[in-house]
Amino acid sequence: MSERTLSFVLPLASAAVIALAWQLTVQFGDIREIILPAPSAIAEKLLRTMPSLLDQAVVTGREALAAFALAVAAGFVGAATISSSKILREIFYPAIVTLQLIPKVALAPLFVIFLGIDHEARVTFAALLSFFPVLISTAVGLNNTDLSALRLCRSFGASPWRTFWSVRVPFALPHFFSGVRISSTMAVTGIVIAEFISAKEGLGFAILAAGARSQTAAAFAAIAVLCILGLALYGAVAGLERLAIRWYRG
Amino acid sequence: MDTLALPVASDAVAARGFIEVRQARKVYTSGDKPVEALSDVSFDVAKGEFIAILGPSGCGKSTLLMMCGGLERATGGTIEIAGRPMTGPRPSIGIMFQDPTLLPWKTVLQNVMFPAHILGKPDAQYRDRARQLVDMVGLQGFENKRPHELSGGMRQRVAICRALLNDPDILLMDEPFSALDAITRDEMNEALLDIWRHYGKTALFVTHSIREAVLLADRVLVMTRRPATVVADIGVPFGRPRDISVSETPEFAKLCADLRGMIEHGGGKRARRPGDGPVLQPGRHGGQT
Amino acid sequence: MTALPFAPDTPVDAAADTGAIAPPRWLRWSKIRPVLLPLLFAVAWLATWQWGVERFPQTRSVLSSPSEIGAILGRSMPLLLPQLASTAREALMGFALATVVGIALGAAITLSRRLEQALFPHLVLFQIVPKIALAPLFVIWFGVGGETRLVFALFLAFFPIAAATAGGLARTRPEALRLCTALTASRWRTFIAVRVPFAIPSLFAGLKIGMTMALIGTIVGEFVTGQQGLGYMIMFAAANADSALTFAALALLCVVGLAVYATVVLAEIVAQRWYGAPFVTEGFN
Repeated sequence: MSERTLSFVLPLASAAVIALAWQLTVQFGDIREIILPAPSAIAEKLLRTMPSLLDQAVVTGREALAAFALAVAAGFVGAATISSSKILREIFYPAIVTLQLIPKVALAPLFVIFLGIDHEARVTFAALLSFFPVLISTAVGLNNTDLSALRLCRSFGASPWRTFWSVRVPFALPHFFSGVRISSTMAVTGIVIAEFISAKEGLGFAILAAGARSQTAAAFAAIAVLCILGLALYGAVAGLERLAIRWYRG
Repeated sequence: MDTLALPVASDAVAARGFIEVRQARKVYTSGDKPVEALSDVSFDVAKGEFIAILGPSGCGKSTLLMMCGGLERATGGTIEIAGRPMTGPRPSIGIMFQDPTLLPWKTVLQNVMFPAHILGKPDAQYRDRARQLVDMVGLQGFENKRPHELSGGMRQRVAICRALLNDPDILLMDEPFSALDAITRDEMNEALLDIWRHYGKTALFVTHSIREAVLLADRVLVMTRRPATVVADIGVPFGRPRDISVSETPEFAKLCADLRGMIEHGGGKRARRPGDGPVLQPGRHGGQT
Repeated sequence: MTALPFAPDTPVDAAADTGAIAPPRWLRWSKIRPVLLPLLFAVAWLATWQWGVERFPQTRSVLSSPSEIGAILGRSMPLLLPQLASTAREALMGFALATVVGIALGAAITLSRRLEQALFPHLVLFQIVPKIALAPLFVIWFGVGGETRLVFALFLAFFPIAAATAGGLARTRPEALRLCTALTASRWRTFIAVRVPFAIPSLFAGLKIGMTMALIGTIVGEFVTGQQGLGYMIMFAAANADSALTFAALALLCVVGLAVYATVVLAEIVAQRWYGAPFVTEGFN
């Protein structure tokens, strides 16, 4: 088996082995369903409550997407602004770095309870969480454009606007996308945390409710759907990244 | 400063210490098509000879060196050193690469002693020799400096000391000075000539610089690519001890010109024809020399 | 050729040319500006905040002024300090355990190439999945006590540390490994003498992320268990519409966050001194 096939097969095989071990341990180890349900029990629960889970998934997914879009747009604009002038950079950089060190998840109660338990509060909170990775990565990328390329633009008399879009943005794309990928995970996480604090619907709420009722299999099922949601968003971003790089870099 | 011998057990049969390469071949099979990196190379090296392996990129010279050092296996043919076929690396063969690869957390002296350290041998036995080597390459006073405090040329000198720590019978060098700027490179060539005055063991030196090859070596093996093989084996008429002034003699220039002609025209086996294409062609195998 | 009016290696000082007395190096505008500007910005922002709340008293319900927050902090210290201790303790312990387990497991994965190929992708996958969502499970398993929050913090911090360890060990510079092969070093000695030290920069990148995740895990754990800690305090104060207390607790939490992160950064500085070069890593995904 070639190296490339092996690098595919081995992770899948190990996942299958772990799932099998899990199933057998629960089945023959006589473990209570409350503690650890078997994969079969989770799958069954998943299938049975699929319609309800999908509804919750749509709620959470919609909000996560909104927060994510907001964060990416704001992050890009913010990074462009900051990296355009040395003074702005000096003023804001330390502030941003310090803000990054604040555990922003702790702001969740503030948003949710002060700004209401409606979905705007959740979206704003998740957007705040996902904003910083994009801002910081993109700013780093824009600041680290190849100096010789910039000098070339200046020698042609290119305007800052053209320089920005034709040279600095393409150079910054890998950094931008690495921030965007992290941001996609944070957007989903943010919505879930906000739902933990107070919500009446969504996957986070579903997990919390199942947990409160000790329905472990239901909790796992909701978690599984959430994981798929998170992975789907991440995968979409990765795909977009590939397209953007191909389009911009030719 | 003559003897740098020390109580190291080189592996046995160091008496003959010469290299025998017979119809060596190397074929890489990764990917779709097999790539022949080296085809039918044969030559001998006597003990104490300094051999330059000269050729453009893609001619298989680094592959040949790796095979002589036991870091790659020959697909066909044989390579014997000191009467034994090469099946793996040996402590009696020192190797130097283009990248000095010094360990950043160790001092110069500790880096030089690394070959002993990694084999679990006691440091004390090697410290004196390490100091001698460091002095010999002109780095006295730098023993406790870290690699990041050294220039590129100085780092390569440390790498030379490290390669010589075990008093190897043979030193293999794979374009060790190619990453340095021209001035530093000249300094390193002088330093190597100087070291060889005292050290004088067998050496294989891979380079793509004709001038470097003629300056340093007793014999120059000229290689070409497609096929990747040795097309000429030229003796260098300058004696030893040698210094850099030899590079300003007319004999030197003539020899360089002759070698250049051999490289361009495939060792005289085929004259250049119109429509031959550019002289410098990008290597097919992505940088395998 | 006319002689130069000054020695060639004397720096030409513009200020000295005018005859004025030049200020000392550290007081120069170019050096001060990067520190002064952010400071001025922070002061301006605090002052605006204070002025804004006093000028528009309606906002008092949502936003307390800095002076009010400071006052509450002073008054409520006896209440807040135990919560601070609880959060700090659980976060640090969770991080410490995650470091031990993460390094051990991360290293174990790299012992065999096949094992690494099989398990490393899972490690990477778990980085992407929203692990925070598993908090309620931990409550099922461990109840609402301190162990729950600690184990959850451990769980969140473990993955980046393990991934960083495995990544750093697996991606040693090939030239360094080639050197060891050429020196006929054994696999074990190569691992200890070369692969482990070269993995330290990557490890510290992972430790910094791990510390952040441990704190996040503790806070979310406090949300979900609802018993104690600064995160719980914030939730409690917000539910009671006590804006000043909310911000006071938040301020203390920031202090905790900065303090624990600073310890890792300090450790990294010491490690860099030993390593002999600043840490530059390309990430470990």
